[in-house]
Formats: sequence, C-alpha cells, structure tokens
Amino acid sequence: MARFIVRRLLGMIFVLFAVSVIVFGIFFVIPNGAPENRMAGKQSTPQQIAAIRKDWGFDKPITTQYVKMMEKLVTGKNFKSYQQQRDVYAELREGLPRTFALAIGAAILWMAAGVALGVFSALRAGKKADFVVNVLALIGISIPVFWLGALVNHYLGYKLGLFPNGGYVPISEGGLWQWTYHLIMPWVVLSILFIGIYSRVLRSTILETMNEDFVRTARAKGISERRVIVRHVLRTSMIPILTLWGLDFGLVIGGGAILTETVFDLQGIGSYYADSVSQLDVPPIMAVTMLGAVFIVVLNTVVDILYAALDPRIRLT
Amino acid sequence: MFVLLVVMALCAPLYAKHVAHTTPDRNNITGKVTVGGEQRDVVSLDGIPIGPTWQGEYLLGADQNGRDVAVRLLYGARNSMFIALTATAITTILGIILGLLAGYYRGVVDWIISRSMDVLWAIPVLLLGVALGVSLALGGVKLGPLELSGDSLWIPTLIIGVVGVVYLARPLRGEVLRLREQEFVEAARAQGASGPRIMFGEIFPNIIATVLVFFPLLVANAVLLEAALSFLGAGVRDPDPSWGTMIGEGEKVIITQPALTIAPGLMLVLTVLSLNVVGEAVREAIDPRARVRLEQ
Amino acid sequence: MRRIPPRLVGLLAATALLGFAGCGGGDDSGGSETTAAKSGGTATGYGTSFPDYLDPALSYTVDGWQTLWVAYTPLLTYKHEEGVGGSTPVPGLAEELPKITDGGKTYTLTLRKGLKYSDGSPVKASDFEHSIKRVLNLESGGSAFYQNIVGANKYLEGGKANADISGITADDATGVITIKLNEPDGTFPFALAMPFASLVPADTPFANQTKNPPPGTGSFKITAVDGTKGFTLVKNENKPAIDAIPEAKLDTLKFTIVKSAARQGQDIINNKVDYIIDPPIGEQLREARVKMKGRFREITTNSTYYMFLNTRLAPFDNKQVRQAVNYGLNKPALARLFSGLMEPACNFLPPNMEGYEKLDPCPYGDPNGEPDLAKAKQLIQQAGATGAKVTVWGNDEDETRQVTVALADQLKAIGLDARPRIVEGSVYFQTIGNQKTKAQAGFANWFQDFPHPANFMFLVDGASIQETNNQNFGNVNDPVINSTLAKINQNADLAAVAPQYAQLDKRLIDEGLVAPYGNRKLTLTTSDRIAFDQVVWHPLYNVDYTTFALKQ
Repeated sequence: MARFIVRRLLGMIFVLFAVSVIVFGIFFVIPNGAPENRMAGKQSTPQQIAAIRKDWGFDKPITTQYVKMMEKLVTGKNFKSYQQQRDVYAELREGLPRTFALAIGAAILWMAAGVALGVFSALRAGKKADFVVNVLALIGISIPVFWLGALVNHYLGYKLGLFPNGGYVPISEGGLWQWTYHLIMPWVVLSILFIGIYSRVLRSTILETMNEDFVRTARAKGISERRVIVRHVLRTSMIPILTLWGLDFGLVIGGGAILTETVFDLQGIGSYYADSVSQLDVPPIMAVTMLGAVFIVVLNTVVDILYAALDPRIRLT
Repeated sequence: MFVLLVVMALCAPLYAKHVAHTTPDRNNITGKVTVGGEQRDVVSLDGIPIGPTWQGEYLLGADQNGRDVAVRLLYGARNSMFIALTATAITTILGIILGLLAGYYRGVVDWIISRSMDVLWAIPVLLLGVALGVSLALGGVKLGPLELSGDSLWIPTLIIGVVGVVYLARPLRGEVLRLREQEFVEAARAQGASGPRIMFGEIFPNIIATVLVFFPLLVANAVLLEAALSFLGAGVRDPDPSWGTMIGEGEKVIITQPALTIAPGLMLVLTVLSLNVVGEAVREAIDPRARVRLEQ
Repeated sequence: MRRIPPRLVGLLAATALLGFAGCGGGDDSGGSETTAAKSGGTATGYGTSFPDYLDPALSYTVDGWQTLWVAYTPLLTYKHEEGVGGSTPVPGLAEELPKITDGGKTYTLTLRKGLKYSDGSPVKASDFEHSIKRVLNLESGGSAFYQNIVGANKYLEGGKANADISGITADDATGVITIKLNEPDGTFPFALAMPFASLVPADTPFANQTKNPPPGTGSFKITAVDGTKGFTLVKNENKPAIDAIPEAKLDTLKFTIVKSAARQGQDIINNKVDYIIDPPIGEQLREARVKMKGRFREITTNSTYYMFLNTRLAPFDNKQVRQAVNYGLNKPALARLFSGLMEPACNFLPPNMEGYEKLDPCPYGDPNGEPDLAKAKQLIQQAGATGAKVTVWGNDEDETRQVTVALADQLKAIGLDARPRIVEGSVYFQTIGNQKTKAQAGFANWFQDFPHPANFMFLVDGASIQETNNQNFGNVNDPVINSTLAKINQNADLAAVAPQYAQLDKRLIDEGLVAPYGNRKLTLTTSDRIAFDQVVWHPLYNVDYTTFALKQ
C-alpha cells in the first residue's frame, strides 16, 4: 500500500511537471507574441524594449526562462503578471473565494438534486415519472451553460428583476443574504449539467445494485423495502457518485467554471484565466492552469487511494 | 432529428439564394427592408439590428453588421457539423490507435500513453482549449507541407479532436487489457501472428461496439466544446459563422433582440439533444453499462 | 458582459481626448444659470475594468489618467475647462511656463514655494528627477516621451535606479529645475504636462505602487484600493493653493468595477449609481438618449479611426486604388457600428486641434453621405486591380471586429477580393506593426496623447517606420510629408506652424495615403443627484472629477 501511494505521488509530480512544460510551451512559440513589445506600449523605443528584455529575462534561453518562471511560481516571490505587473498570487487570493463560493454551493446543489432525482427515477424505473426525469436529464446535459446563463440573466435578472443581474457581493460587504442572493442563479445554472449526469449515473448503478445477491438476501430476510434501499442499495451506489463528485469539484475550483463565471460576471479564477489568455499574459495563465491541475491531480489520487483502501480487489497498478 | 439538422445545413446555400436573397457574409448596415408594407432600417442609427421579420428576408432578424441571422444560422450549422464530425473522427482514430497500443503492449508504451492521458486530463478541457485556440490562431499551424491560416476552421477542429482523445483512449485501453488475455488472442499469438495483426485483426473488431457507443456522445461533446470556445473567442472566427460566436454577439443586444441569442442556442440544444438521444439508443442496444464522462 | 475579448479600454492607445462643444451639453458651458450645488458628500461610480495602473509613472490609458489627473500634478498642467481653454499647457507646480533657451534645447522651470504632498511632507525640486527616473526605470509606456532628455538613454540602459540623469538638474534650495534635450522638440512642454511627469516624493519605491498610490499634489487623494475591484478618491486636505488645481467639491468618490455593461446601464438609469465611465450600450444607450435628459451628453473626442493601406504592398502601392478605397468607404454605415458614437470625418487630424482645417468639400464626397461606388469601381478597374486579394486585419474587441468585417465587405463592393482576418486584441498592433506580417490593410485608430498635431502625424511619418512595433502601419513614406515634419516638429510655437500641419493633413487625404472615417464620441452619464450642468468634460482627461457636486 505504501509503495502504491509513493508511486501515485511520483506520478502526480510528473504530471504537474508535464503540464507546466506544455502550457509554457504553448505560449512561448506564438509569433508576434514577444511580451516585451506588448509591454513597451504604443510609443516604444529600442532602448526601452532592450531594458524590458533584460529586466524580465526575456533575453535568456527558453530553459532558463522556464526555470525562472517555475521558481517564481513555487516561491511566489516577485511573481508578477506581464501586463499590469500585478502580483499573481494576490489576484488568485481575490479570485479563489469567489470561485470557491460558486463551486461549493453548486456542488451541494447538484449532489442533492442529482441523488434525489436518481433515486426517484430508479424507484419508478420503467414508469412515466422515470421517463420524464430521464428526458429532463438528457435536456439538462444538452444545454450549453453559457447560453442558459445568458437567458436566465436576461429574463429572471433583467426583465423580472427576481435576481441581481450578475455580480458578486462578498459576505463582508453585503452580509450572508446578499451573498447568497447573488449566487443563486449561478449555482443553479452551473448545477444543471451535473444534475443531469448524476441522476442518470445513480439511476443505473442503483438498478444494477438491486440485482446483486446481497440485496436479494436482505429482501429475503424480510427487511422492509425502504430499509433495503436506504441501508444497502444506496450506500453501495453512492461510491461512484462520490468519486465523480470529488473530481468535478476539483475541476470547477481549478477554473473549469470559466463559462459560468464570465456569464455572471463573478470575477473568479475562471474569469481571471480568460482575461489573462486574451492578453497572452503567461504568469497568470501558468498559475491558474497549475492550480487547476493540482486540484484535479490531488483529488484523482485521493480518490484512487481511497478506492484501493476500500476495495482490496482493485489491483494496485 | 439529427438527420434533419444535417439536411438543413446542406440546404443553406439554397435558402440563402432563393429565400433570403443574400450571402452569409454580405453586410447591409444602412439598408432598409420592407416588413408588412413598412420600410424599416436593418440596423438602426443606434446600431441596433432588426428583430425577426418572419418573412423571407431577415426571417430571424439581422446581426450588427446587417447580415441575415437565419442564413448565418444555417451556415453555422455547416461549420458546427464539419468541426464536430471531423474532430470526432480524429478523436476516434487517435483513441483507437492509442488504446490498442497502450492496452496491447503495456510496459513502456502503455506508461507513455497513459501518462500523456493523465497530463491531458489534468488540465481542464476548456482552459486547454482556450489556450490552444488563442495561440494557434495567432500564428496558424505549420506542420511540414500542411499549412493552416490562423482563421482556418481546421484549428478548432484539431484542438477539439485531440482534446477529446482522453475520453476514448482510457476506456479502450481497459477493454484491450481485458481482451488480450482472452483465449482467441492467445490462440492467434500461438500461431505466430504479429502484434499489429493481432491488434487490428483480432482485438479491434471486439472494441467497435464500445467505439460506437461513444461516437454520438463524442460528437455531441464536440459541438458543445466548439460553441463554448467560439463563445469565448477562441474558436471559429469571423467572417465564418458559428453558433457560439452568434450567442456571444447576440448577448450584447439581448435586451432589445433576444432572438439573436435564443435562435443559435436553440439550434445548439436541439443538435446536442438529438445526438444524446441517438447515443442513448445506441448504448441501450449495445452496452448499457458504458458511461462516458464528458464535461463542459 | 465580459468574455474573451474583454472590453479593454484602449490599453495600447493612450487616450486623451479633446471635447467638442455643441453636442448636447456644449451649450451648458455658456452658463446662463446653474444648478445649486453643495460642497461635500459622497458619490459613487462604476468602471468596466480597473485602470491599468494607479501609479502616475506607469498609467497609459484614459481610465488611469482621468483619475490620476485629479490626484497628481506635474510641473505644467491644463486648466479645468472644456474645449480649447483646457488644451494649452499652463503652470502647474512650476511658477511659470518654462524658459526655453539654447535653440529649444534647454528648459528652465522654478518650483513654487511651500508646496506639500497630501501626507503633509514638503515637495522638493529633486522629486521631479525622481519621478522621471521612475518612468524610465519601470520601463513605462511613457518612456519614449522623456528619452530625448540628455542622459536618459544612458540611465535606461544602465538599469541602475539610483543613477543620475545628467540632463536634469534640480536645486532644492531655490527650486530651479533645468532640463537639457538632445534635439529641440516642439512637443516637450506637452510631455512635461503628462501625468507621467507628475511629482511624487523622492522616497517612492521603484516599483508599481498601484496597491498603495504615493502621496500627490492634486484635488483628491487615492485611497482604499481594493485589489482590482475598486478604489476611492478622497478630498485632499493638503491641496496646494494653485489656481490650476481646483478645490474638490465632493468629499468622497467611490469607484467599483462592474464588468457587465447591462448592469451598469440599468443602475445609472435607475439612479443607483452616480456616474459610469463607459458609455451605455445597445438599448440602454438608446434609452439614455431619449429619457435621460439633463444627465446625458455625447462628446466628440480628439481621435481618428482609419483604415491603414500598406503603400509598400499591392494593390495599395497604387494611388488610384487607395483613392478608390476612400471613395468607397461607407462612413455612416461604420458610424452605426459604434451605435452612433462616431462622427464621420474626412480629415486625418481630429477637430478642435491646432492645425485642423476641415476639408470642405471633402475630395471623396460628403462623409455623411453615400459612398461613390461607381467612381471607386472605375478607379480600381483603371488600376487593373479588380479582383485583387486583400486581407483586412482587425482585432476581436468590441466594435473593432464588426468594423473590420464591414470594411472588408466595403472593399468587396468596389471590386477587391477582400476577407477579414481577426486576431487577438492584445497582440493586434504588435502583429500589424511587424513588417513580416505584410498586413495589406486594416483597422487602426489613435487617441491623442496631448493636443498637438505632431502626436497624430508620427503615424504617417516616414521617419517612424520600424521593422517591429511599427506604428506607421501603412508604411507611409512621402518625401514632402517627411521633410516638412522634420522641420515643424521642432518648433515650440505651435500656432505658427499649425497651417503647415493642415497642409500635410490635406496632402494625406488627397494622395489617399490613409482612409480615415471618423472621430469617436464618448458619453457623460450621471445620476439625478449630480449637478450635471457643472460637470466639465476636459479635452484631455475626459470627465473632470473635481467638478462633480451633489445637488442641494
């Protein structure tokens, strides 16, 4: 087991290293992408450009530049964006609570609604209600989140005035109610897709589990159907859902909610990434991608290790 | 329904020529159009385009450049289909090859392929897509004799095709790992068949079912990803129409002309939904246990 | 709502704008009767994005300058007045305008006595050198304006923050500051009045101070910078008693960054916020025009939007083709793409600038009228350029994308085979400014850095052609223009050489060396609480926050 964990940890480090190289490479090779020309502004002079190159180390070979970038990324010292020389970690600290607020609320919502709908439709498998839930779930996973967000924003926010038209209010400024009020629409919109996925996954796992021996045994013992479902079936069926939940949560925290954030003007990590890419500002791009990769890789590994610990049948490869 | 959408996309030039009397690119900013016997600006002095006229010209209204939205919607369908189908073809081919190689040879080959997949998996799809979309569009792509201009449709196609490989290669690898221990493979190996021969002759026919289950879902995912990238400005570029960019443009005038946002979005939902339904049907028919994890 | 591309506020184009009396609010400045306003109180404002910097050495956008201008003061500055009154340099922290000697190469100024920064510390003459050093050492976008100072390049190349700039000497006892230039430069007084040259204390670090802006000598001080989400202007109680720096009427002006244009529009219409920096868009702009009487006006700025035509490349190396493009541009159509926030124009120089003489009649027909397509097609045919392939470059920022698409379509209409090519806004100018790109034609615009025609003419000066970071996108290299500019740019007496700039402007248009189509308009939008008729729209720095006052 210990060896397994060590191997997974080494794998993690390798993956993170590769991610950093890839992202750095993507933005290094762009023609006309030389950051010093952009930073010099419209009325640039050769002396000024030369000074920028020297100051920021753009005159060094690519490997040196990569090492320097990673050094800054890890230590956080003097890690500034090219464009407005802002401290990248300070920006992340501002964006993270916003993204976190979005992700936590949405994750709870999609988990609760996904499980409720999944159980509901599994219990009524083959009936009309099951069919309706299934169709709704299919529609849910077919709606582009940015489109839904734009419409909801317009009709519920602007037209009817039921909700604020986007934006984020920190608890410290507007109190708990304003914070929640501003996040309700983003939570719901972001959740729709996941609710669709989770309800369907849960439904099929429940149906599979119901046919397993231990459930039949339980039934034969005369335990009430309700108890069978809750104590035996649901408990087993929740494992894949919890796994999914961990992975998706990591994804959303790591900037995966970029569309929801931009549509609702939440200014979290995703929007920060979007802005940085449009300015080809490599330091924040590196920081956000690495942050996302860390969340995803760590959660993946944790899930794997837990799985291996819980289920000895899984081969430790 | 999906077939209907494809037919509509194919008929786009006919519609443009005979019903709307325009092309997808023609601007008409200061022009006028007669609606119900009344002359109306296609684009107002405030820059606000006309809404749906429910007649041949400007059926669904115009965009800010005075281009016919219905026509662009149909041409957008062509772009969407082209990108999604081609990208999925790329994904499928790459996915099969990588899955076979990794699953069959195991060892170093498997390690390299699996770790590469891990790396791709570790970057949120949209972040990677946007980064590639922006950087490749600036310089275009030069791969030997193949040269793509920065605004070529092939760029989002390639990106979506490559990014999608993770979805397919992993499950296929698992399947191949299982199959290679089966008796018929052992038998073929005993007869001295070469690796590639076993892979493509013996194992490949047995993974087709899985590939078929995945195919419609991958296409659906590609359609959504293309729209999202275009919405974020990293996909299809003007003057080529795309539903994603049309939603983005429409959103700016959503207060006056919500139709500009609603119409391309509905097309998207219908397309993806029909693909998901097809996928569902195929899955039920072939392998009810398969699960594709796709994300936005 | 914000997506990629963000609504960048002219990050590259330094934007300083000249007001144009006559658009709605212009008649107010006549001042027949004004609203009773009180002094003190708090007002709120929205910006679409955080200013590039809140550090005078670094900021190079109109968003930044608008704020910095009322918080920092250079040796020279501008009066807080609309139109021409606000566009000539006047003494700021200096007692008088500079004495120019040595054939235009030596500037002598004297610092006023007893000046204090907002934190109460004294202003010293040597702070000026420190301020210029910060501009150079931080490799600010403003460096180019001060590299003509003797020793500036040496200082820049040396990379040592505390080294001396030999061309600047300052005597803290007498307050005398002397600046020596390498070449005479008629625009240098304007450079001295730019926010870059604002004085900050000599202990201000050589680093971006946006998070914690240094003390200044303006009507306000900048406080409470909240990351990139907002900042606050508070009345400066230590404001120097100088005419050019008026007393702030408000106590506090609090800015919040709201990216959604729809939300900004909604809140200003409903009086939930007192002021928005950027114009409302779409339906809300229409609503503002109709309903917001007495708290909305449109102002034409000193900016030019034009299509550059690369005179080195076919087909635009042919004068007839370039003229055909000028005949064929549908300027009113382009104005609609800016929601009407554009005044169609014929000249390259913008109105209300010295050296502007309206080309009337315009050689290519009324800019507000229909284009002469027949004439354009005929010229293209004569030049044998029918069906020539043209790539029209543009970027993906708001309006620009639509304009580029429309420009390509208009070239198609006169017989060229044009296709738009949209690239990322952040690298657009870098891309077309690289000779290797071989950009044939495309979108370009310029907002003045200061009200001097030389600031526009360098865009078409053969001497400014570069391999990379070129700003003369069309590689305009006309011997007459080049030699005239070389001469008149050195003259510090602008009024004397203004007619010559006007002649160059005419020549540019006659030869079809550029294809300008209009001047950008901006809007001033406030809530009902603000005494709207007292708000000054400054020609360079747009809205003058010192004139904001709450109604009584």
